[in-house]
Amino acid sequence: MAAISLSKLNKHYGSLFHAVKDVDLEIADKEFVALVGPSGCGKSTTLRMIAGLEDISSGDIRIGNRVVNDLPPRDRDIAMVFQNYALYQHMSVYDNLAFGLRNKKTSEAEIKAAIDRAAGMLGLHELLARKPKQLSGGQQQRVALGRCIVRNPEVFLFDEPLSNLDAKLRAQMRIEIKRLHAAIPTTSVFVTHDQVEAMTLGDRVVIMRDGRVQQVGTPLQVYGKPANKFVAGFIGAPAMNFVNVTVRSDGGATTVEADGLKLTVGGADARALAAYNGKPAIMGARPEHLALGEGAPGASFDAHVEVVEQLGSEILLETRVGSHGITVARVPAETVIASGDRVRVSGQPGRLHFFDPETELPITAA
Amino acid sequence: MPIVSRPDFLPGLPKWSRKTLFALALFGICFAFAFPVLWLILTSLRPESGVYYVHRGTEFTLASFAEVLTDDRIVSAFLNSALISTLATIFSLLVTVSSGYMLSRFTGPASRIWFGTIYVFRCIPYISWVLPLYFVTQSWGLYDTYTGLLLPHVAVHICFFSWLMKGFFDGIDPSMEYAAMIDGCTRWGAFIRVAIPSALPAISALAVLCWLFTWNEFLFALILTGNRVPMITVVMAQFVTEMGLRWNLMAATAVMALVPAFLVALFGQKYVIRGLRI
Repeated sequence: MAAISLSKLNKHYGSLFHAVKDVDLEIADKEFVALVGPSGCGKSTTLRMIAGLEDISSGDIRIGNRVVNDLPPRDRDIAMVFQNYALYQHMSVYDNLAFGLRNKKTSEAEIKAAIDRAAGMLGLHELLARKPKQLSGGQQQRVALGRCIVRNPEVFLFDEPLSNLDAKLRAQMRIEIKRLHAAIPTTSVFVTHDQVEAMTLGDRVVIMRDGRVQQVGTPLQVYGKPANKFVAGFIGAPAMNFVNVTVRSDGGATTVEADGLKLTVGGADARALAAYNGKPAIMGARPEHLALGEGAPGASFDAHVEVVEQLGSEILLETRVGSHGITVARVPAETVIASGDRVRVSGQPGRLHFFDPETELPITAA
Repeated sequence: MPIVSRPDFLPGLPKWSRKTLFALALFGICFAFAFPVLWLILTSLRPESGVYYVHRGTEFTLASFAEVLTDDRIVSAFLNSALISTLATIFSLLVTVSSGYMLSRFTGPASRIWFGTIYVFRCIPYISWVLPLYFVTQSWGLYDTYTGLLLPHVAVHICFFSWLMKGFFDGIDPSMEYAAMIDGCTRWGAFIRVAIPSALPAISALAVLCWLFTWNEFLFALILTGNRVPMITVVMAQFVTEMGLRWNLMAATAVMALVPAFLVALFGQKYVIRGLRI
């Protein structure tokens, strides 16, 4: 039973670099939270502070009911998986798994039972006598996971554990971690720079930038209702298209206009944009919410195809509309299309996003 | 890939002549290094009358070795050198390994000051340490004692080899130690139980280098010791007397001094190569 609570957490490196700024985060017991953001956003530093490998400049960290600010890592009852596995190279896989338990003076019989159980879950039985050097990357990472499981800690911490694996293995290990969390529900914090990993693994996703938390929410929330333009652009692949538009609201109709593009917006969007009449705004459209064809009246525009990326299951189009580059996804793979073609692109009504150009916050109806 | 088969090694020649040339060059280089040693061994096996005509004459004898081995001063010099080399290696490693680790892992002011200190001392030419050390050992009453020779050696090792050790530790991923700290070790525990075992090839290499360095050292031994603690390198040089040069005895002592160094180098070289590659 261990919830994690971060309050007003800060990390300064000297006087020049403020790596983590006022981070507040509540992680429920048994919850799997993914910390995601571009490199240098403070996510790894935050994780290392939870682990106790990094001092806290100010703020509080609680694990369960204890404030752990000044506790050394060994007393926090946590386990951590590192990017480069961090297996003890001079020990066999068995000794690697046993290391933590031996430090706790657990009896060898109990250690053997715990290792048997973990090895069964992760398929490590044949590897127990080997040295880490004799294992492949995926096997090493499974041993690192095993080392966490046998200790049966209150919290699992993952520091970009899949970054060193190739794409196929990464997808496999993702599923394995998910299965593991279902089998042994333990509070987990998973740091990654890959938004796909964060979305697929996290019960909730925390997006960070420049040391600040941008948004905390379920994968569906951060995808559907991004808290600002950064989150909108960071979550989702291919990334959201952004177009600088001018809002025109006259009579009953609200339109947004840009070079080569004029779209009619309705419903909640029109009400929200009413205050921006004559002013600039940023329109965001996810590539998967655009489609070829006329679509609803006033919802389409002409585009000039520049690059065609055939993925087999679908086509990705890089198009140009006036001075803007716009990506269109989910074009059926059989579509006959070539670069240089002119196409009609339509947006799905109600799935456009609008942001204030100054604050970059979403424009919503009051 | 063997050098001989590389196409850019004398590309115009046929393969057999490339191989021959390569073998000749190899032989030439080995010969240049081995010749003085071979000459030394030859000299040590000649009677006193034959040392100036090592290249001719067929008379060989082990008399020089017998004479040297029955000389108490030379035997005790051997023991002294072995003892000092071994002790210096042990003490230097104790400090060098932890100091190299600190330089590699910690960035605080203590680490920076230590870094600066050994940097400065490293810049001072080795030879200019000797005279001040002579006065210091004299005034502390350490002249011509084990301690008086051991301490300067350890100090020099620390300055020279902390850097090497820092380089070794830089090459070892620190997350292994973090994992150990999370797994229940203290910082020291992680250092001793995880960092040191992973650096063992490097530490063995360093031990070999330290030992050879002290065994072969001449200057400190000459200046900082007298009759009570003779060292083998100094004793060897003392066959130059007003009665003349006793080449055969000097050569016999030198050959015997070569043996331990040769053995250490022979058994240590695989560690040195592995260690230096980390």
